[in-house]
Amino acid sequence: MSVDFLHPGEGAAIDTNVPALEMRGIGKRFPGVVALDNVDFTLEPGKIHALMGENGAGKSTLIKIMAGVYGKDAGTIRMRGREVDIKSPRDSLKEGIKVVFQEIALISEFTVAENIFLEGYPTGRTGSIDWKKIRADSAALFNRIGFNVDPAARTGSLPVSQQQMVEIARALAHEARVVVMDEPTSSLTPNEVSLLFTVIRRLAALGIAVVYVSHKLDEVFEIADTVTVLRDGRHISTRPIGEHTNDTLIQDMIGRRIDNLFPRQRGAAGSKVALSVEKLSTAKKLIDVSFEARAGEVLGFFGLMGAGRTELAKAIVGYDPIISGTIAVDGQRLAPHDTRTGVRLGIGLLTEDRKSEGLMGELPVYQNASLASLGAFARLGFVDKAKEHQAVQDYVDRFRIKTPSLFQQIKNLSGGNQQKVLISRWLMRGLKVIVVDEPTRGIDVGAKSEIFALIDRLAGEGLAVVMMTSEMPELLGLADRIAVMCEGRLTAIMSREDATQEKILNAAIG
Amino acid sequence: MSELTHASTQKRFIGGQLLGSSQLVLGAILAVLCIAISIAAPQFYSEANIIAILRQCALVLIVASGMTMLIITAEVDLSVGASLAFVGCIGMAVLNSTHSLALGMLAALAFAGGVGLFNGLVVTRLRVNSLIATIGTMMMLQGGVYLFTREAVQNHNQLASFTDLGAGYVGAVPVPVILAALIFVVAYVTLRFTTLGRYLYAVGANEKAVRLSGLRSERLKLLAFVVTGLCVGVAGMILSSLMNAGQPTAGRGFELTVIAAVILGGTSLLGGRGSLFGTLLGVLVLKVIDNGIIILGWNQDLQMVVPGIVIILATYLDIIRNKANVR
Repeated sequence: MSVDFLHPGEGAAIDTNVPALEMRGIGKRFPGVVALDNVDFTLEPGKIHALMGENGAGKSTLIKIMAGVYGKDAGTIRMRGREVDIKSPRDSLKEGIKVVFQEIALISEFTVAENIFLEGYPTGRTGSIDWKKIRADSAALFNRIGFNVDPAARTGSLPVSQQQMVEIARALAHEARVVVMDEPTSSLTPNEVSLLFTVIRRLAALGIAVVYVSHKLDEVFEIADTVTVLRDGRHISTRPIGEHTNDTLIQDMIGRRIDNLFPRQRGAAGSKVALSVEKLSTAKKLIDVSFEARAGEVLGFFGLMGAGRTELAKAIVGYDPIISGTIAVDGQRLAPHDTRTGVRLGIGLLTEDRKSEGLMGELPVYQNASLASLGAFARLGFVDKAKEHQAVQDYVDRFRIKTPSLFQQIKNLSGGNQQKVLISRWLMRGLKVIVVDEPTRGIDVGAKSEIFALIDRLAGEGLAVVMMTSEMPELLGLADRIAVMCEGRLTAIMSREDATQEKILNAAIG
Repeated sequence: MSELTHASTQKRFIGGQLLGSSQLVLGAILAVLCIAISIAAPQFYSEANIIAILRQCALVLIVASGMTMLIITAEVDLSVGASLAFVGCIGMAVLNSTHSLALGMLAALAFAGGVGLFNGLVVTRLRVNSLIATIGTMMMLQGGVYLFTREAVQNHNQLASFTDLGAGYVGAVPVPVILAALIFVVAYVTLRFTTLGRYLYAVGANEKAVRLSGLRSERLKLLAFVVTGLCVGVAGMILSSLMNAGQPTAGRGFELTVIAAVILGGTSLLGGRGSLFGTLLGVLVLKVIDNGIIILGWNQDLQMVVPGIVIILATYLDIIRNKANVR
C-alpha cells in the first residue's frame, strides 16, 4: 500500500485531468430487452457522481458491467485513459473498481479483517497467514476512512452500516480508483446516513471517483457533484447538481412532469373514531402506546430506525402478540395476536416487506388480489372464478395496474403495480382501518405519486389510514395528523398545521 | 387492448394449470417410454399388463394425492412409508379381534390420521422443520412397529370383503384402482376449484401473507398433514389385503417413491406450485419404468437406478424450459 490515503497529494499523484473511468457507447441486451443502449458514463477523480433512474432504467445493469458481473455487448471502458477488458468481478477489482452492492457480499462467518483481505492474505516467512499484520492493516484502513470497526468482530454480527464500512475499507485495501455505492442508505438510520456521507466525502477527498446510485432526491442533492440520469436503458442527462431542481430531476427520470407529488382530493377528516389503541405494550419494543385514528384521516407515524413503527403496525392488526393494552376497531375489542378477528373487524396491514410478507410471488395477479376476500366469491366452498376475475379486473382498471393479464405471476410486475395489487387485496375485502407501513419503499418516483393518490383516496372513502413512514416529505405531504415515536414510546402527536420538521425530529430523538 | 386480452386468454388456455409447463415434458417422457418399451416388448400393451401397472400405481397415487397437497403448502412428510407398515399391522390386528372390516378400516384411518396430526402439531406448534420432524416420526414408527409386533400379523379371518380391498375387481378394474381414482378426483377438485385448495397454494406461496390476510395458516398446514395421514391409512389397508398380512417390514422406501412422483410431477418443494395432474403423470412414469424393467427382463436393481436418473433429467428439462420462457 504505497498510497497514503490521508494525504493524497503526498502519495502517488492522481491526475485530475484524466477521467478515472470512461464508459463509451455501452450496450447490453438480454433476451427480448435492450437493457442499455449506447450509454456514456464518465467519472472524474475526486468527484461524487450520482447515478439515477427508475427501476428498470439500467442503473444496476451499468454498475454490474463495471463490476464484471455482466459482460457488455457494445462499447469501450477506459480506466485512466487506458482501455480495459473487464470479464469478471476479479478483473474489475484488479482495475481498481469496487462496487458495494445493496446486498452486501461479505462472508458473515468471517471476521472483519479476514473479509478485507479475502482476495489475498499477506503471508509470513513460513507461508502461513500473517494474522497480526492483517489486523493491524485493517485498523489502519479504518483509521483512514475515519470510522472504526473492530477488525476482530464477526462480520455477520455487525449492522449493515458497519458492513458497508468494511466494504469501503476493502476498496481502499485494493487501492480502488472508483467506488460504487449501490442504494447504500436503504436500511440506514439518519445518523448512520450522515456518517456514511462523511466517509464518502473523505473517499472523494482521497481522489477516488465515487458513484452514488440512489433514487432518493434529497440525498443526491446533499452529496453529489454531478448527476447522470438513465431512463429505459438510455442516457438522458449528465449535469452538475447545481443545474438541477427537484422538478427537473424527476422530469429527467420519468420523462414527464409531475405537477404535484401529493395531490389532495379528500375533504376534511370526520370525527368518528375508527381505531383506538390504549396503553399497548409488547415484549420486544412498545411501551404504553395510546392513540386514536378517525375515519377519513391519514394518521402518520414517524420515527427513526428502531423507533417501533413496524412493531406497532404488526401489533395493532393482531399479527404480533402484545403483553398489555387494548385495541378496538369501531368500538369492538380486537383479540390480540389474532389476525382473523382483526380482518373480520376491519383492520389490515399493508406490509413494508412486500416480498416476504405480502406477495405470493409465484401466484398470478388475480389470486394475490383476492386472497383476503376469496370467501365472498365462493359458494359451498367452490370458487366462482368468473365472479372473482371480474372483481379483480375492476380493480386492475380502476387503479390502472399495469399487467399483461390477470394470470401474470405477480413477481413479474413492477414494485408500484405490486403495491396496487396488495392495496386491492384489502379494498376487495373491505376495511375500516388500513395500516400502511412504508407504502412507497422500493417504488419508483413516478409510481409513488400514484400510491400517494391512492392513499388519499382511501381516506377520502372514509377509511382510517395509519401510515408508518421514515420519509419526511411523505409524512408532511399526506398526513392530517402526525404521531412521532422514539424507542417504542409515542413522544408526540400533532396536527399537520402545527408540525414542522424540527418539531418532528426533536420528538423522534426523544 | 382487446388483442391483449385475447392473447392472454389464449395463453391461459394452452398453458393453463391442466397442462402446465412441467407436465408437457413429463407427458412427452411418458409417451416415449411407452412407445420404446412396447417396441422392445409387445406384451407391454396387453390388458393384463396395463391392469398390473394401474394396480401398481394405485398405492402410490393414493398417498401422493395427499402428499401433493402437503408439499404445495411447503411441508413434507417422510414418515408415510413407516406409517404404511404400522397401519397395516394395526388394521389387521383390529380386524382379527373384531371380525369387522369397518372397525379395522376405522382403526387404520384413526392411527394414520393420528400420525398425520402428530406430525402437523410438531411442525405448526413446536415449529420443527417438517423434514426433521417427520424423519423423527419415521424412526419412531419404524422402531415402534416392532414393539407392537415382532412378526407379520397374519389374516385369521379371511373376510371376503377385506380380500376384495386389495385383490377384488369391479368389472375389469381392480378395487385399489377405483379407490385411487376416487381419492385422486376428490383431491384434484379440492385443489382446483375450492377455496380450501386456493388457500393451500397460498400458504405454500407465502405463509405470512396468508396470516396477515386473516387466515389461519397453521390450521391449513395441519389439515394437509392429516389428509396425507388418512391417505396412508387407506393405502396401508389395501397393502395388507394384498399381502394377506400386516407386514412390519413393508413400505421401506415407499416415502421416496411418493415424494419422487410428486416432484417429478412439477410440484415445488418450496411450496405454492404444483398440480395433481402432474403427480398422476409422475406416478405413471415411475411405474411404467418399473414395469418396463421387469418385462424387458433387466436387472431389477435398475428399478431404483433408472427413476433416480429420470428425476434429475426431468427437473433439469423443466429448468431449461423455464429459462426459455423468461423473456
